[in-house]
Amino acid sequence: MLARCARCQGTFTTDRYGRQTCPHCGSELLLPDPAAPAGAPEAAPPQQPPQPPQPPPPAHGGGPGLPPPSVPPPGYGPPGGWGPPPPPGGGWGGYPPPPGGPPGPAGPEAPSPFAERRERGFFSAFFETWKLVATQPQQFFARVRIDQTGTAILFGVIASTIGNVASSIYGYFSGQQAIVAMQQVLQRIPEDQARFVRMYMQAMSGSSIVAQAVLSPLLTLIFIYLGAGILHLLLKLFRGAGRRFDATLTVVAYVHGLLLLLAVPGCGGLIAFVWGLVAVIIGLGAAQRCSTGKAAAAVLAPAALLCVCCCGALGLTVPALLKGAQDAARQQPTNL
Amino acid sequence: MIVWRKTGRFGHAEVFAAIALLSLLVARFVPVLAIPFTCPLRGLAGIPCATCGMTHAFVHLAHGEVARAFGASPLGALLAAGAWLYAIADLVRVAAGGPLPDPGPRAARAAAALGVTAVLANWAWLVVREGLS
Repeated sequence: MLARCARCQGTFTTDRYGRQTCPHCGSELLLPDPAAPAGAPEAAPPQQPPQPPQPPPPAHGGGPGLPPPSVPPPGYGPPGGWGPPPPPGGGWGGYPPPPGGPPGPAGPEAPSPFAERRERGFFSAFFETWKLVATQPQQFFARVRIDQTGTAILFGVIASTIGNVASSIYGYFSGQQAIVAMQQVLQRIPEDQARFVRMYMQAMSGSSIVAQAVLSPLLTLIFIYLGAGILHLLLKLFRGAGRRFDATLTVVAYVHGLLLLLAVPGCGGLIAFVWGLVAVIIGLGAAQRCSTGKAAAAVLAPAALLCVCCCGALGLTVPALLKGAQDAARQQPTNL
Repeated sequence: MIVWRKTGRFGHAEVFAAIALLSLLVARFVPVLAIPFTCPLRGLAGIPCATCGMTHAFVHLAHGEVARAFGASPLGALLAAGAWLYAIADLVRVAAGGPLPDPGPRAARAAAALGVTAVLANWAWLVVREGLS
């Protein structure tokens, strides 16, 4: 049977249960016997602090409570690590969410459905992955394999590009209407303001839209890497990076897939932003095995810093501006 | 403590190096400063944001104008220089088949804290300069 070391995540073959030594990192681990009475400890290296009780490993797409089979765990056997169609009412394999506090390994890792797109079919795998990222980020990122970053990036780039192209097309048509309406207004407003308006109208022109659409995959790739790099550094700062950079990159790339919502006209961008923010916080907590608070701190720290500094600067400048305006009003003669 | 580890020929480090090289090419050959863009924070509140001047810093440094680059944004100039030096160092490392330095958690935390401090210091400098001028 296949076994996985909880410390180095390496797999090895063994023919017995009980105490083992990992051939990769040399740490000692315990393989529980499924025939043993309930309450036996989970496989964990002795060096690690005691973990909260873990949920039972999911059966192959089945619900909780099924006895662990003697077949390889999900993700290592035949394709379908997330379980082919989820059981009714059970959501994604009926897997219960990890207990509160710092989540531990939530069962064996499995490739995402999108990583199995050859077997499942491209569109089916794509939308199944999107659904998992959007609706069950905690369970998905707690279990998804982090050594398949190429798949995660491909998913993020495809979804984001589709969303951006659709958004650009909407922007082009709505922008054309706006340009017609603004032409008359531009002749009546001061030149400085008119220049800014022309600048933003230029951004809605056809050539600019085409440029955005063509550059979208490359820009998405760059944003994914830079975003993941900054977030990982901030996670390190808050002592929340329990795993490698690959975990952060996987979360950021899959969450970029939510930019598919940009294809929704009107409020798609706002929905994608808020949903993505929530998903990346939950996802980083689950994938990096840290608390949601640390993940939220890492994600929101730059925005919070910006708000605090801006509010501070505005707090200093607004009273001065108001006082200046009052002084000017007093000096000017009232013309009724 | 820094650990040196062997990596594949093309990994995350090389993607970051490619992004750094791309930024050099764009700053050197694409007329990015001709794009009419105004920072929304500066436009609305009259206050420069933390990254104001970084595009100018990258472009000036790519054209060898070191003083103008530091004048536009000191952190931007340092970031550009660091990114491009990193890209060259990584190219040499890959060509030579050398190992990748892997900083320990303490060094990574220190680097992150240094980065945040540098961003704040650069922002303070930009705001003060804007107020003086």
